[in-house]
Amino acid sequence: MDGPAIERARKIQKMKRNHLLGLIVLAVLAGVFLATFQDASTYQTFPTAEGQMGEECVVIGTLDLNDSIAFNKDKMLLRFTAVDKDGNSRTVYYNKPKPTDFERSEEITLTGFATDTAFVTTNILMKCPSKYKEKEKLQQT
Amino acid sequence: MSYVGEHTWVGDLGRLMVALSFVWATFSSVAYALHLRRPQSHWLATARWSFRLHALAVVGIVAVLFVAIWNHWFEFDYVWRHSSTDLPLRYIFSCFWEGQEGSFLLWTFWQAVLGWILIHKSREWEAGVMLTVAAVQAFLSSMLLGVYVFGIKLGSSPFVLIRDLPENLGLPWTQMADYLTSFPAFQEGNGLNPLLQNWWMTIHPPTLFLGFALTVVPFAYAVAGLLTKRYSDWVKPALSWTFAGVAVLGVGILMGGAWAYEALSFGGFWAWDPVENASLVPWLTLVAAGHLMMVEKHKHSATGITLFMALFTFWLVLYSTFLTRSGVLGDSSVHSFVDLGLSGQLLVYLLFFVLGTAALLAIRWKSFPKNATDELLGSREFWMFIGSITLLLSALQIAFSTSLPVFNKLIGPDGWIPLLGDALAPPTNANEHYNRLQMPFAIVVSVLMAVGPFLVWRSNSPLFWKRILPAAAGSVVLGGLIAWGMTIQHPVHVVLLVVSLFSALANVDLWLRLWRGNSRHLGMTTAHVGFALVLLGSLVSQGKKEFLSVNKSFIHKDFPANENSVLELKDTVSMVPYWVTWTGERSEGQNHYYDLTFMEKRGDTAFTLSPFIQMNERMGNVPEPDTRHFWNRDIYTHVTFADLRDVPDSTQWKRPLEVTLKAGEEAIVYDNFILHCDTLEVRDAVFTTDGSNIKRLNMALQLRLVAMDGSEEALLPIYSLAGDQLTQTDAVAERSGVKARFASVETEEGRFKIQLWRRSEEDQPFILIQAIAFPWINLLWLGSVLMGLGSALAVVQRVQRDREKAKKASA
Repeated sequence: MDGPAIERARKIQKMKRNHLLGLIVLAVLAGVFLATFQDASTYQTFPTAEGQMGEECVVIGTLDLNDSIAFNKDKMLLRFTAVDKDGNSRTVYYNKPKPTDFERSEEITLTGFATDTAFVTTNILMKCPSKYKEKEKLQQT
Repeated sequence: MSYVGEHTWVGDLGRLMVALSFVWATFSSVAYALHLRRPQSHWLATARWSFRLHALAVVGIVAVLFVAIWNHWFEFDYVWRHSSTDLPLRYIFSCFWEGQEGSFLLWTFWQAVLGWILIHKSREWEAGVMLTVAAVQAFLSSMLLGVYVFGIKLGSSPFVLIRDLPENLGLPWTQMADYLTSFPAFQEGNGLNPLLQNWWMTIHPPTLFLGFALTVVPFAYAVAGLLTKRYSDWVKPALSWTFAGVAVLGVGILMGGAWAYEALSFGGFWAWDPVENASLVPWLTLVAAGHLMMVEKHKHSATGITLFMALFTFWLVLYSTFLTRSGVLGDSSVHSFVDLGLSGQLLVYLLFFVLGTAALLAIRWKSFPKNATDELLGSREFWMFIGSITLLLSALQIAFSTSLPVFNKLIGPDGWIPLLGDALAPPTNANEHYNRLQMPFAIVVSVLMAVGPFLVWRSNSPLFWKRILPAAAGSVVLGGLIAWGMTIQHPVHVVLLVVSLFSALANVDLWLRLWRGNSRHLGMTTAHVGFALVLLGSLVSQGKKEFLSVNKSFIHKDFPANENSVLELKDTVSMVPYWVTWTGERSEGQNHYYDLTFMEKRGDTAFTLSPFIQMNERMGNVPEPDTRHFWNRDIYTHVTFADLRDVPDSTQWKRPLEVTLKAGEEAIVYDNFILHCDTLEVRDAVFTTDGSNIKRLNMALQLRLVAMDGSEEALLPIYSLAGDQLTQTDAVAERSGVKARFASVETEEGRFKIQLWRRSEEDQPFILIQAIAFPWINLLWLGSVLMGLGSALAVVQRVQRDREKAKKASA
């Protein structure tokens, strides 16, 4: 073979390799994106969560302070009532220590799943009115 | 009306500086553009001095804000919100950048410094580079303007007076000339978030923002390369800057991790929180960009992708800024900034640079040189290229998962184009999600870090195989032993363990044995070994972290309910391999400490850890951990539950009991105590004149409560009547936990009815704690230090070599 032919052959080989690389990259990206969507949970209300019992989801609501908040340290069980954004209220069980300042939370984000008797949460995120309190203080003066 | 005690001139000066910094940056950018267009024109000098004026204005803003914080001028909202008079000096700096405006200012400041240096150092690249830097500065400065243009808020000024805040406008106190002196609220500021009152927090933000600022340099060089059509030449001068960015940003991120490990109580140094991810993602692509730039410098074979990666890194920095500051993350992150209503402006900022430079890249793409020289499969550059692509994919995965709230805004049920039925929430177990998806990338990167440097000898030469074999064999044996010894069973974990060891060993072996300790390669070797140790340390310390505090609740292995121990005061609990006693609690300042004594069951190690809860009225009560560092593992503890009520209230009293006793009688109560009724003490008795009705009566009953061990407590419940008004004052025996009430007198028989309550079992003082062992976490910190030092050394050496070369060329 003469020089240009070799050159051309190498070029083709390189193109093929680049295409193969591109394909691998795309495949990995697709896999990663699918996995992310699969792992992502969804925001629900209590009734919609009950429509898919046992499936993990996130419910945002508030703590019902009128109902009892009971924590049993021996069973490591916290039981309280939460009200979701649509006003549905449910009993919630949480198998971890009662969060600090739980009663002061103005919003709670519950990660967990619905069962036929109660909502079981595995993680609670609280939003406390800390940073905004300052304004109230000023308004009182 | 003039207000008493205000320093309005300071605010005016600050605002003037902000305006000037914005104007000069814009002007400088335009001037540089004009100069670039027609180099013969006289715009260069103008561009330079306007940038310098801009930089001085930025320094001026910093100085003015600092003076306001230093002097506690609480009439300024930013000063009031973020500082207080009781803060020590080092935290005054933290106040400066706690808020959004201050952290923008910090970023602007670093970029102004970098711009100033670039004017001197970038030589023939100056116009192309500085045009971009100045444009970025103009956008950043605009974030501090705080003006309304056609009803749209442009920026947020740190110099707003509290009385000028929109929510305070028209309030009566704003009309009082002496409001500053007459209201106690203005005597003391809101203060710095106590969680940020930590040594790491004084050095982490400046380091991180310097890292962010450094990413603008390769970006600006890449833009300059595209503008001047020198698609490959820009790499050489930008390379040192890029690796300086890698070092600084990397160290900055890990400092954040160290802070989280020391001051936050989520039990680890990394939580894959969106704010953490937002800084990690650009770091990964910056590392990729740096390595691609080396490929491009040597072989000119990665022109397009190198330019893309340098641009993309800065796009990600802008995107991260948008994510963490626009409020879009909302519920998914606990520590993103408060939304200042700047999301529109941030989006314009993001889109301007992304679309502008993407268009430029697309237009120029066709004209990139098509290089015929083929990268062989076995070449070092080819695998550096593959490594960079792997880092990019890894970064994209993190960015994608972190962006779920953005997808909600775009395609969620309430979004722009409602495609999804349900709004997406972050993965329920973030750690598991990210660790599982990131480990394969870490494995590939580790292997490439080990093999890459050996590819100085092509992989088709027998020398290559011979030379890499010892490290490969060594890591398999050592990794196998460690996996067996530490019972690491998960196959992916074992693979990552082996390859990260391989990566560390191979680099050390190469440098010591084959390069004979040549200092020229020391920087690179140290950085690679450091990164390998970071991976190894994270894997072992997180993968084999062990809860010492366990209880007997068991629901399901994927549903942990047993990771906390109940500790009653003075009670000793087994937490293998320790006996743990909660010996007491104490308050120091706003912190409430819980002293825990750890004693090794077999051995004589004993130590005390004092995790605490910060009782802060302004920020809420926050638990903070305490950690004992051993050379091979850390014992980390934090309080997960404690009853913070100071005074036990009435609801705690359970098991009501009623006994009727005569003076001198006794009764056994609650199985454990004997209650003696000694005498009745009539303190006051006034009857109506006819003697039939009681007008006033005050009696106390002397009781004694004797415990099983013979110890006594006196009780004196009081019965007091005034007209029809009955008051019963209860008496409490604190040690026994019994409360007595003088209920009534049965006059005929001379008996007294006594009501008793017992403080219920559940209300005995107790705390819940988590104690976690992190094995070999020091490998992670060692790796971090090595990575930072190594990268820094490599940069210094590169700069020196370039200087020597330039000298030789000119000689």
